[in-house]
Amino acid sequence: MTIKSWQLDRRAFLKGTGVSLGLPWLECMAESESKDSSVQPKRFCAMYFGFGVSLPDEKGEQAKWRWFPNGEGKEFQWNESLKPLELHRDRITILGGLSHPHGRTMGAHDTADTFLTGALMNEKSLSNTVSLDQVIAKANGNQTRFSSLVMSTDGGVGEPTRSSTLSYDDKGRPIPALNQPRRIFDRFFGAGDADSLAERRRLKSQSAMLDRVLEDASSLRLRLGNQDREKFDEYLSSVRQIEERVENSQRWLEIPRRELRDEELKMLDLDSDENAPMTFIRTMYDLLYLAFRTDSMRVATYQITNMADASSKAGKFPQLEGFKDSLHTLAHAWDKPEGAENLGRWDRLMTEQFTQFLERMATAPDANGSLLDNTLVLYGSSNSNTHNNNNYPLILAGGQNLGLKHGRFLKFGDHVPLSNLFVTALDSMGVHREAFADSTGELSEIRT
Amino acid sequence: MPLMFLSSLTFCVFAILLCAAAYGEDGPETSSRLALSVLPIFQSHCQNCHGAKEQAGDLRLDTLSTDLNADKAVAEKWQRILDMLEAGEMPPKKAKQLRPSKRKKLTTSIASAVNEAIEIHSKTDRHRVPRRLNRIEYANTMRDLLGLNMDYARDIPSDALSADGFNNDGQALQMSAEHLACYLDTARRAMEKVVVSGPAPRTYNSEFTKSNVGNWKGNVEFSNRLGRQQEFIVKMVDDYPEQGDFLIRVRLSAELKPNIGFPLVKVSLGYRPDTQVLFREVGLVEITEPEERLLEFRGRVEEFPLPVRGQGKFPGLVVMIRNAYDDGSLLHKGEQSKEKEKKWTYPNEPNLPTILIHSVEFQGPLTEEWPPISHRKILNDSNLRETDEKAYVAEMLGRFMPRAYRRPVESTEVDRLLEFFQAIRPEFPTFEEAIRETLSMVLISPQFLFFMDPASDPIRSIDDWTLASRLSFFLWSTQPDEELRSLAASSQIHEPELLSQQVERLLQDPKSSQFVEQFTDQWLKIDKLSNIAVSRDRFHHFDDRIKADMQRETQQFFRELLDHDWSALNLLKSDFVVVNERMAKHYGIEGVWGNSFRRVPIAPELHRGGLLSQASVLLSNSTGRDSHPVRRAVWLRDRILNDPPSPPPADVPPLNQADPKFLEMSVRQQMEIHRNTESCARCHSHLDPWGIALENFDAIGLWRDEVKKPLAKSKEITIADGMLDEVIATNKTTTSKKEPRQPIDTIAVFSDGRQIDGVDQLKEYLITERSKQFAGSLVSRLLTYALGRKLELVDQPAIEKLTLEFVADGYRLKPLIKKIVATSAFQAM
Repeated sequence: MTIKSWQLDRRAFLKGTGVSLGLPWLECMAESESKDSSVQPKRFCAMYFGFGVSLPDEKGEQAKWRWFPNGEGKEFQWNESLKPLELHRDRITILGGLSHPHGRTMGAHDTADTFLTGALMNEKSLSNTVSLDQVIAKANGNQTRFSSLVMSTDGGVGEPTRSSTLSYDDKGRPIPALNQPRRIFDRFFGAGDADSLAERRRLKSQSAMLDRVLEDASSLRLRLGNQDREKFDEYLSSVRQIEERVENSQRWLEIPRRELRDEELKMLDLDSDENAPMTFIRTMYDLLYLAFRTDSMRVATYQITNMADASSKAGKFPQLEGFKDSLHTLAHAWDKPEGAENLGRWDRLMTEQFTQFLERMATAPDANGSLLDNTLVLYGSSNSNTHNNNNYPLILAGGQNLGLKHGRFLKFGDHVPLSNLFVTALDSMGVHREAFADSTGELSEIRT
Repeated sequence: MPLMFLSSLTFCVFAILLCAAAYGEDGPETSSRLALSVLPIFQSHCQNCHGAKEQAGDLRLDTLSTDLNADKAVAEKWQRILDMLEAGEMPPKKAKQLRPSKRKKLTTSIASAVNEAIEIHSKTDRHRVPRRLNRIEYANTMRDLLGLNMDYARDIPSDALSADGFNNDGQALQMSAEHLACYLDTARRAMEKVVVSGPAPRTYNSEFTKSNVGNWKGNVEFSNRLGRQQEFIVKMVDDYPEQGDFLIRVRLSAELKPNIGFPLVKVSLGYRPDTQVLFREVGLVEITEPEERLLEFRGRVEEFPLPVRGQGKFPGLVVMIRNAYDDGSLLHKGEQSKEKEKKWTYPNEPNLPTILIHSVEFQGPLTEEWPPISHRKILNDSNLRETDEKAYVAEMLGRFMPRAYRRPVESTEVDRLLEFFQAIRPEFPTFEEAIRETLSMVLISPQFLFFMDPASDPIRSIDDWTLASRLSFFLWSTQPDEELRSLAASSQIHEPELLSQQVERLLQDPKSSQFVEQFTDQWLKIDKLSNIAVSRDRFHHFDDRIKADMQRETQQFFRELLDHDWSALNLLKSDFVVVNERMAKHYGIEGVWGNSFRRVPIAPELHRGGLLSQASVLLSNSTGRDSHPVRRAVWLRDRILNDPPSPPPADVPPLNQADPKFLEMSVRQQMEIHRNTESCARCHSHLDPWGIALENFDAIGLWRDEVKKPLAKSKEITIADGMLDEVIATNKTTTSKKEPRQPIDTIAVFSDGRQIDGVDQLKEYLITERSKQFAGSLVSRLLTYALGRKLELVDQPAIEKLTLEFVADGYRLKPLIKKIVATSAFQAM
């Protein structure tokens, strides 16, 4: 048996824990060829870019810069922007026509916040709801050291309608995104950043706290009458449940982080930042890939660009890459002479980065196949072309082991809410929900 | 045939003795006595409907145990039987009646058995379970304990209501892992603000005399003169705090106009992300005097929407000031001026009240003292901190824990926390961080989160501390203040005279609004208002904001009776209303200006006065499109008379309404048909009349003399879930201009033949014939709220005594509250 990178060194593992734990991804220590579907790791990531894509008329002069392919179903033909994906044709599905119905009623550039939530945000209420990735993270997140990885170019949460994160917790509060490669590296593969050290202290203190609370409460319980005990047991069992959660999180403190291979360390450019966009985006994708490869988390989001325009670090990305205009201006000019081509060339750059990420994922071994086979990847925007909150350009990739069927360009009508896709995606991730946001059913077409 | 008679009687007695022998051991004597005297009468008069064949009202008498002493639930059933007999409701009018002597024998036997059972059960019964603080109590208590304003309840799941509608019922209040996790998070969040470290943060101070934003979202006219459509908006681009308390000072004067409301200055804080703006109100003040004045608004900056520094297209924190006056008239259209600046102007509205802004000052974080008082209250200045950290922390915990636990603490309790502090101290780089964790542990302890009944903890006995807590949570929904604590410490608070003085003091304190609001909301279920969607096409001009005024009216009405020691019978019928301008306009009362509620005498022809004609009650028991007589009737019988009808059975047959004539009938006629259907009649003949009498009020509580004549539209209707909903909805499908109308029919015929026509007669009837029943209802509800648990059989004597005294005291609320506090139930272990 060849040692796979994601397989733990058994001795290191035992030394670290001292006890036998019902650890996540224990199959990584067993035969990786295991066909047991109950231990099939299920991974998810979503990537987002703002302002939509180039969509010139199919018959016009600039038609080849149309983002969506021509044709439909299995018999589709690439235009220029997505051509790099030909390599992965059998691992992807292009989705046309989908959007969030609520998003269509919202401001033209206000929909980045709701890409993964489907919420309605307007002048009456600017509050959001839980995002798809966090529903998965909440259900499956205890299987890994981190329940999710949330990244963006700008970092933090941004402002409502101009958010710099794709992820929202179950109360609809934004989850701050990480945007510094070195910090992400430290947190996931290094000794831990300031936040993770603080978290470590909190967990340790919390565990000591709950131990004592439980002890005190238990001895108090002995002095209670029967009728009172029944009620008081609600408290005791609450303490025990929280203790379990803490223990679960704490186990990871005892286990050494996965080390990266030399060639992986070499490929990372941890000092890259938004001033060199392509290196920066590639590094972020690489970190994402490595976090998957080491099974440090199974759920991730990455907001590559957003619609905050000049106030976003990504606003100037095109100019830094030799384009004449900012991202917003570039996007607005898609119907000007040569505008479609300019934006199309930008779209293609984005595609190249995405393709490279897929390539890494497809060539990394994982249970029953490659990482990509076990990962449901969603890539797209919440504008078709700029200002239009419908017909999102979307690509679904990977996840063959999760039941996804690929190699097609699927077109849907306006009556199909994007949330239907989310319901089916959740189901593929083993999270069974009747509905998500404003869904009206499933999107079974994406499955085998 | 005498022989036959004898044999059947012998058999009967024999059977009874057999039965009696099978009953529990505790009370065989009482049990068989009861069986002997009661069962024959049951057999001859009751078991046709309450026997093997049929169990009307879910009551079966032939198998009902007669051993009340063994089982409380059995005793409660007997109490209910007794109530029905004494009220003369059973046997029903149509059935064979009991001879007075027989009835007397029956009630005396049952009453004596019930009383004996009460005595026995009150010896063994423990009625209080450990109850956790509910959401409101938790937030108030945290605020008062820590001296820090914060949204403590933000993440706490909402509380379950008891079957009787109260949110402070120990049995209904659950504790879950979700709760506990929230309590811990909230404690840590608060501790980070309370226990500060490092030097005082920089204070920002800005003063503005005019708006300073160049462009703003939408068409806004910037001005210091605020009519309805102008705004005063100032922005602090970089100079604003992100943490701590802030103060906004507004210097203003006003131009008031006669016979119109007062201007409302509304101060909000927030920012503009981009195409949307995000603000939260800091305060809303009515300006009732024209003179120049200085108003102060305070808040905690992190509770408000904050821009992200270094991000955002429109950076900066914004103070927005508007005149929120709204008389409901249409807004005039603005015009864009031709100047380069493209400013908007709106026609002057000289007849509306105006605010003049002289200056606006923003200060924050407020650090007149550093560390702030909330910090120093916990961590005091002491040499010990440097010389002996352990002793310092022990001393600190010795001060904090008694306040958190609402009682003195044992030194062993302090030691436990101290031990925890020492265990985690090396883990944390700073002393403050370890202290925060230690105090958080206090705040998730059951001693803080629960009312631990000391009786359940034999180490301590019921004491003045518990009494102080009960009193404080009853009337303030928060922990005892300094005065209550010192009275508890000196073991005086239980003294009747003192206790009564304290009730007086607590009720005079503004914090008693917690009691008034929660009790009226929950007793009268008027917080349901927000769930009723008012039909837009029916009530074009209805503004949802008035729902809050409706709710407030009922609260303020109750407050008025409480404060002036007036009879609670005013709740049934009064010659005044308590309204503000908006409610007065709603009711068509003239001459009431401004936001504040005040007592206004009311002419009889307006039919107002008392709960039954308050919009809160009428709307929350309507469909939002029209009245809902059944809902209103259920509300009245349940909430006012404490005689709730049994819930509708699960298997109600649908009313066959294929006959189009049915749909042309008035609601009252439809309900009559409904009542004549045998399966419905049993309950609805007692129920519907109460609602019919209120039919002059439409969904939103406005008076009407006629309604649209319904047009037929065939539709099958089920009665199970508000049959009238459907009927009414069907009626409303017509919107043609000239609808035929028909007068409202409000003559309610009760099952005993009594006729009541409309709300005025209904009020009169309640006052003259049901006031004692109403008193009993109010007493029961108030006692339920005061005790934080459901009432039980053993409380029956207390309820009766309190009710008698309440009536004798002239139905005054304050004496009642004092007597409740003095009951052994309130002071019981």
